[in-house]
Amino acid sequence: MEPPVIEMLDVTVVHPRSPRLPLITGVNWKVAEGECWVVTGLQGSGKTALLETAAGLHPYLGGEVRVFGVVVPGNEGGELEKIRRRIGMVFDGAGRLFSSRTVFENVALPLCYHGNHGLDEVADEVMEFLARFGLAAMADQPAGRLGRAWAHRAALARALILRPGLLLVDNPLTGLDASHSRWWRSFLLELLAGHPKFGGKPMTLILATDDPKALLGVGGRFAVTHGGRWRCVGGRSEFEGCEDPDLRDLLHDSD
Amino acid sequence: MDPQVKATLQPREGLLFSAVRRGVRGFGGLGHRILGGVETSRRIGAFTLITLGTLATKFGTSSRVIRPLVQQEILRSGVKVLPIVCFLGMALGLVIVGQTVLLLVQVGQTQLMGPLLVTVVVRELGPLTVAMVVLARVGTAAVTELGTARAVGEVEALEAMGIDPIHYLVVPRLIGFTVSIVSLTVYMVMTALLAGYLVAFLRGFPMGLGEYFRVIADAVSWVDFPLLALKTLAFGMLTSLIICYHGLAEAMRLEDVGHATTKTMAHTMVACLFVDALFLPVYFLI
Repeated sequence: MEPPVIEMLDVTVVHPRSPRLPLITGVNWKVAEGECWVVTGLQGSGKTALLETAAGLHPYLGGEVRVFGVVVPGNEGGELEKIRRRIGMVFDGAGRLFSSRTVFENVALPLCYHGNHGLDEVADEVMEFLARFGLAAMADQPAGRLGRAWAHRAALARALILRPGLLLVDNPLTGLDASHSRWWRSFLLELLAGHPKFGGKPMTLILATDDPKALLGVGGRFAVTHGGRWRCVGGRSEFEGCEDPDLRDLLHDSD
Repeated sequence: MDPQVKATLQPREGLLFSAVRRGVRGFGGLGHRILGGVETSRRIGAFTLITLGTLATKFGTSSRVIRPLVQQEILRSGVKVLPIVCFLGMALGLVIVGQTVLLLVQVGQTQLMGPLLVTVVVRELGPLTVAMVVLARVGTAAVTELGTARAVGEVEALEAMGIDPIHYLVVPRLIGFTVSIVSLTVYMVMTALLAGYLVAFLRGFPMGLGEYFRVIADAVSWVDFPLLALKTLAFGMLTSLIICYHGLAEAMRLEDVGHATTKTMAHTMVACLFVDALFLPVYFLI
């Protein structure tokens, strides 16, 4: 039997800059293959820290985090690097692209590094990939010159170039215009249905957002971080029908 | 006690007490600084071991990505710094070497010319000046670049892609800076000696260029070559590692980057002078 993609057992997520400061306590969470989770909560409630902990980027206090069945972090070295290649992470804002490098170089970097290829060798593959994301015309532009929406899309391309099994996206729709939002929603649904470019298998998605209503049509399961606590709510109907005042407040905020 | 006497004594007691307190506080501050320095040295040492470990275990890994980065660093810290190094070498030659040579001719001590120039230019001023030039010209920019990358989360983005930041960001700088400092020292020494000869020749120095270089070559011991290589290698590694440590090793915000740059300058200068001093006993034995 395949292990869960992510398994968190009684984990205390900490502040990224202060490893002794707990942000969310008692996180018990299992993410099965092909599921789409929407993690929601108010700004500063620890959603980003949770995502980065799940990606093995931050230490945590107590408990255990397993990604693809392997405990992270703690498996420093080769094993952790192999695990990270199976995870695609899209950071908030401009996606933390390398601003002095071109869009093409940013997207090609993981492919070149892990496959030991030169830029010319991967050019065709990367350009085809960029075209799929509507970024072909911007390939030679420095990433620092892109607008936020396009930079976020380039970060998605970079995260997907290694064909990961798990995609974590921090605030996918925040600050986007209607056209970009539509594109994101439709692309995420394609990934969930099994995009032919990514082996045709449904991709496991975890989306963090402070506006859960925008992702109601995408997310299959919902979880909330609020006041330092973690709560798996369930499917869309349970989420929308939940009587918890904190959750109602959150849903009300997004109106 | 007479109140007048008491009043006279009181401030004195106060002054004495505050002086002692200031002294104790001063010693406390000194101790705090020394302990801080030891802790920083320990951390830089640990960072060095991690980097050397990465260099050894990942040697040849992703070479098609790392090699262009190394070339870029050599271009930035070596080729582009060459004009400044040559200019400084000429200045050093005109101001120090030329005057020294002429002075030795005046006092009839030309037999000291070789040992003196080897000690001052080849062993000491050449390597140290090059290390400082590279630090000032490229090092400050590098620490700002790395610090900004750390502050805006680009380093975490690398980790998220399964790319080791030490391998991708530190190793190319370590190799690039070391190769550059070793090579630039040769240019600096040669330019300084040539410029020195030029000044002396124009002032009627009674020696041909060939003889001048023969006298210097005679004063160079065979041990000088490996020692010079070792010293410049140490300067290159120290400079690059301290730069990368201050840029990457600690979590920082954008406003901390300037402070990290200042600390890098101070720590690298102290470290280079310290290593330079470690070579003195060896030179005394030659």
